[in-house]
Amino acid sequence: MATSSTGTSGIKGEARVKVEGGVAHFPGRAREQVISFDELEAPQQQEIASLASAANFFNCRPAPQPARPDARTYTVCLTIEDQSREVRVSEPIRDPALAKLVSAVRRLSIGRAVAAAR
Amino acid sequence: MCTSAQRHGLHCILPPYILSQIAENGSPELRAQAMRTLLVDPTIRIIRASTAGPVTGTIARRRAAAGNILTPSPLRTIRDAGGEPEAPGAVIARREGQPPVDDAAVNEAYDGLGATFELFWEAYQRNSIDDAGLPLDATVHYDQQYDNAFWDGTQMVFGDGDGELFNRFTISLDIIGHELTHGVTEKEAGLAYYSQSGALNESISDVFGSLVKQRVLGQTAADADWLIGAGLFTDAVQGVALRSMKEPGTAYDDPVLGRDPQPGHMDDFVRTNEDNGGVHINSGIPNRAFYLAAIAIGGNAWDNAGRIWYNALLDPNTRANTDFAGFARITIQVAMRLYGSDSAEATAVTEAWQTVGVI
Repeated sequence: MATSSTGTSGIKGEARVKVEGGVAHFPGRAREQVISFDELEAPQQQEIASLASAANFFNCRPAPQPARPDARTYTVCLTIEDQSREVRVSEPIRDPALAKLVSAVRRLSIGRAVAAAR
Repeated sequence: MCTSAQRHGLHCILPPYILSQIAENGSPELRAQAMRTLLVDPTIRIIRASTAGPVTGTIARRRAAAGNILTPSPLRTIRDAGGEPEAPGAVIARREGQPPVDDAAVNEAYDGLGATFELFWEAYQRNSIDDAGLPLDATVHYDQQYDNAFWDGTQMVFGDGDGELFNRFTISLDIIGHELTHGVTEKEAGLAYYSQSGALNESISDVFGSLVKQRVLGQTAADADWLIGAGLFTDAVQGVALRSMKEPGTAYDDPVLGRDPQPGHMDDFVRTNEDNGGVHINSGIPNRAFYLAAIAIGGNAWDNAGRIWYNALLDPNTRANTDFAGFARITIQVAMRLYGSDSAEATAVTEAWQTVGVI
């Protein structure tokens, strides 16, 4: 696990996400994306922390899903303060709170992947 | 003993369940004869007399065989997730029979489901995903900046794209057909979504997705572009589509997305644990086999070539773990059964699989 960092709101943390599957396989998108909380605005840090709390991320046990055609599998690793956990979850994500957390982390990673490649 | 006033040889010899099989799967002459015989049966007469009830696939086929066709119609419901990661979406945006709404994604999903339903019914006499008139449900505007579409086991789910690399996923008709075909495959062969059977699952969705588009556009095999997902990329992407059935591996080469990894020959088969064992990668091989067969047969690809692939999908020998070579053998057998051992169709299918190195 990479070293956690301190953002402007004082929340130390990091998010890692790897996306597999989907209607097509893009080699350039199969790489893990890392988002340090240092790079986030305070509201973004707070949003991730709040969504992680609502989803009970550090203690949840997502039910294993069979591979659905074209559905994605997300491997999300969150480190917030002194807690850290990796969860692997496939679409459709039935827990609404966990779905919102995965969505938020995924969206944070999109811009970074594009910026890194261009 | 045969007691009907008009004697039918089939009726006197064969039990009803075999007659039913012949009525569905026999040659045109045998189907008609079996159907006439079956209609003597009081149960079938009741079915035939009932025009108000649901039209299931089996009954519809029997009616068709008897020249008593009641064309089934789709039952579509398009929901709007409003940018939330939830499906089905909370709001019903358009129901069957309602006019277009002021939302392109809703209308594209509605029309795309209709076009897919029409292909399966009019070309193969299949009544919806389950061949029993299953309602067709879809959710659009799923999540935010969501660049994907998938079949969740009960419905199709479409994102709006991220606006940077991808447009909305309903923009591509073959993608809608692709997703719905996953439902058909799940109901029929149930091809396991991993490695070769998974790549076959993907390829079959590409085949019928492309046929939906070709049929709507009125294109022959020679006229078609054989691209999957044309229009999905924004101008920022260096590529034309997600995949090319004609030339696998040439659809895109982009700094962000990488290079199209699809092989078109077994020599280049990719062994990987990613992408469920390469289901979207190695599907290029059976995709190209279908393209080659369709081009060699000529005319509209949804006719003879599509009929061979469709009947192969329904063949009892196509099972969850069927691999490329197994499916190749089945398509060849089906082509021989439908068109004759020495037919141009059987030759075209055999040579197509040989060309891509599967047999």
